[in-house]
Amino acid sequence: MMAHVPHTRSRGFWAEAWGRYRRRPLAMAALSFVGFLVAVAILAPAIAGTKPVLCRYKGRLSMPCLGYFNRSWEPAIFARDRFRGTYPRNLADKDPDSWAIWPLFFQDPYRAVRADEWPGMPANPAMDEGRPSGRNPFGTDQAGVDVLAKMVHGTTVALLVGFVSMGIAGTIGIVVGALGGYFGGWVDTLTSRITEIVMCVPTLVLILAIIAILEKPTIWHTMAIIGATGWTGIARLTRGEFLRLKTSEFVMAARAAGAGPVRIMLRHILPNALAPVLVPITFGIAAAILVESSLSFLGFGPPPPTASWGSILNDARSNYRMWWLVVFPGTAIFLTVLAYNLVGEGLQEATDPRLREARK
Amino acid sequence: MATYLLRRVLLGVLTLLVITCFVYGLARAMPGTPLTVQLGEDPSRKLNPEDQERLRRIYGLDKPWYMGYAQWLGNVVRGDLGRSITRKQPVTSLIAERIGPTFLVSGTALVLIWLLAIPLGLYASARSGHADERTTSLLLYVLYSFPTFVAALFLQVIFSVWLRGTPWELPLFGMTDLPADAPWPARWADVARHMILPVTCQTYVALAYDSRFIKANMEEVLRQDYIRTARAKGVGPWRVLVRHAFRNTLIPLVTLLGLSLPALVGGSVIIEQIFTWPGMGRLFFESIRERDYPTIMGLTLMFSVLTLLGQLLADVLYCAVDPRVSVE
Repeated sequence: MMAHVPHTRSRGFWAEAWGRYRRRPLAMAALSFVGFLVAVAILAPAIAGTKPVLCRYKGRLSMPCLGYFNRSWEPAIFARDRFRGTYPRNLADKDPDSWAIWPLFFQDPYRAVRADEWPGMPANPAMDEGRPSGRNPFGTDQAGVDVLAKMVHGTTVALLVGFVSMGIAGTIGIVVGALGGYFGGWVDTLTSRITEIVMCVPTLVLILAIIAILEKPTIWHTMAIIGATGWTGIARLTRGEFLRLKTSEFVMAARAAGAGPVRIMLRHILPNALAPVLVPITFGIAAAILVESSLSFLGFGPPPPTASWGSILNDARSNYRMWWLVVFPGTAIFLTVLAYNLVGEGLQEATDPRLREARK
Repeated sequence: MATYLLRRVLLGVLTLLVITCFVYGLARAMPGTPLTVQLGEDPSRKLNPEDQERLRRIYGLDKPWYMGYAQWLGNVVRGDLGRSITRKQPVTSLIAERIGPTFLVSGTALVLIWLLAIPLGLYASARSGHADERTTSLLLYVLYSFPTFVAALFLQVIFSVWLRGTPWELPLFGMTDLPADAPWPARWADVARHMILPVTCQTYVALAYDSRFIKANMEEVLRQDYIRTARAKGVGPWRVLVRHAFRNTLIPLVTLLGLSLPALVGGSVIIEQIFTWPGMGRLFFESIRERDYPTIMGLTLMFSVLTLLGQLLADVLYCAVDPRVSVE
């Protein structure tokens, strides 16, 4: 076997890890599911909505569906012409030459579709009547809003919560852990104590208190708080890695070559410590999604216009006979958490050399 | 050992000071006071300004938050957790009232977890790599990722809505539907029926986690040389597993036991909230909503002490069972 060693550069650490990751079918399935969620989140307005994806109105091309991402991205001309969010009829009445490409699924995540809003389509049923049907595959909630449309638009929240809060937590955790591990001494004592204290802070109280204090809590506040409290595990791990790596030969070589502490930490140690640190970050994404959805479920989520999977579950609590308000969003939360956990697991197996040896 | 303990306790006290100070400041910064939140918007129940001022003075709400904190701290040092503002009874008796139901659920769950996790973990390591073990492990992993509050809602829909009218129907809320003067066997049976769903929810995640943990530790131990020796001299497979391998995985298990202490007494805020179980977690949630500062603080103190104590216990036990580990 040794005779056939090719004379090319050996594959890098990440390429090799990816090669190992790809061989795990479950981890790959989980990664594809996360990719699917990202696609759903980005394409949400084109999948479910009542605003045209692309339309030509009075000689102008526009994309009113972007209004679902941000109100101000919806062209002002439709507000001026008093569309009031109802496009199909208004487009035909106010400009007979207009045409439009509609979302795949004509349902709105924020309001019930009225009778004949789409030619020939009845109004959404409300209350117990809204059980899943051909027109509303996941049913409708008390107010008659379509659950599938709410869930499609809620995907953005679920993904953002994971990425933003763990982005914050990862940054804080890596900085705190790197400082403590690299410098040692009193810096280490200080950062370790801070980490321990934050570990003991009851996250739920903190979140509930801060949401109560804020006059207008938004989803961004929730993400910031989850990030600001969820970094302790990452800090501990980073500290351990830095402690281990700072005595290694390549660091000594870098120091001998005259590299400063910041350069050594960023360019030499961090890339080598990144793989084990990515694992708790991936698990953290799953945990952050859980915290956000349970907060929304308890009624402390983002204010109503924002669609979140957890808030659909909260609606279900007033009437358990509307089982579809529990089963569909609950399954979505479960699958997302499971997918991130499997990705984390796969990452761990693919990057941890100790586990690899154990497999043999 | 003594100096180590002393240092840990001193650090623990410092941590407690920081946490309680922080939580007190946050609680006081929440809009509204116990007086305004409790009376709500109902104008007929509005207190006249003099009464309100008088009550504010009695409860110490007229002082800035750090003065209030200093006062609370002084009372705690003297062993007094204060009186609940909204429930008009001492915080200690309020906690004593609620700790029983929480312990009933989480104690049962803990016993179940250990009774099931150890055989499951041993089974998984004995059959490691076989199809049945892979299926079980995958199932446990899926269960581990199942969010408790989603599971709680699913169980409620299944057992209280879909199975309504069948013998399998289980109660949706509360601890008991019977009056306090019902005969005790009926009352106990009723409480047990109410307990099934909350206990299930508290058990399954930890069960999945712990059995995976046991299996991971067992795999580590089973690679050791002395296991090969035992096998070579003809010890049976189960005996190797239980007598030689499992005993050596008890050390990490002990730490896990220490860390489950706070959850045992603290209960789960969300589970108790969903099932309206009258325990500590629910009390905590209610006290935050009512801005009942003494109760919030009493519970925060208790949870933090338990968390720190659990960590300390885990570390000390670790040294006790493994003489190779030194506390330093």
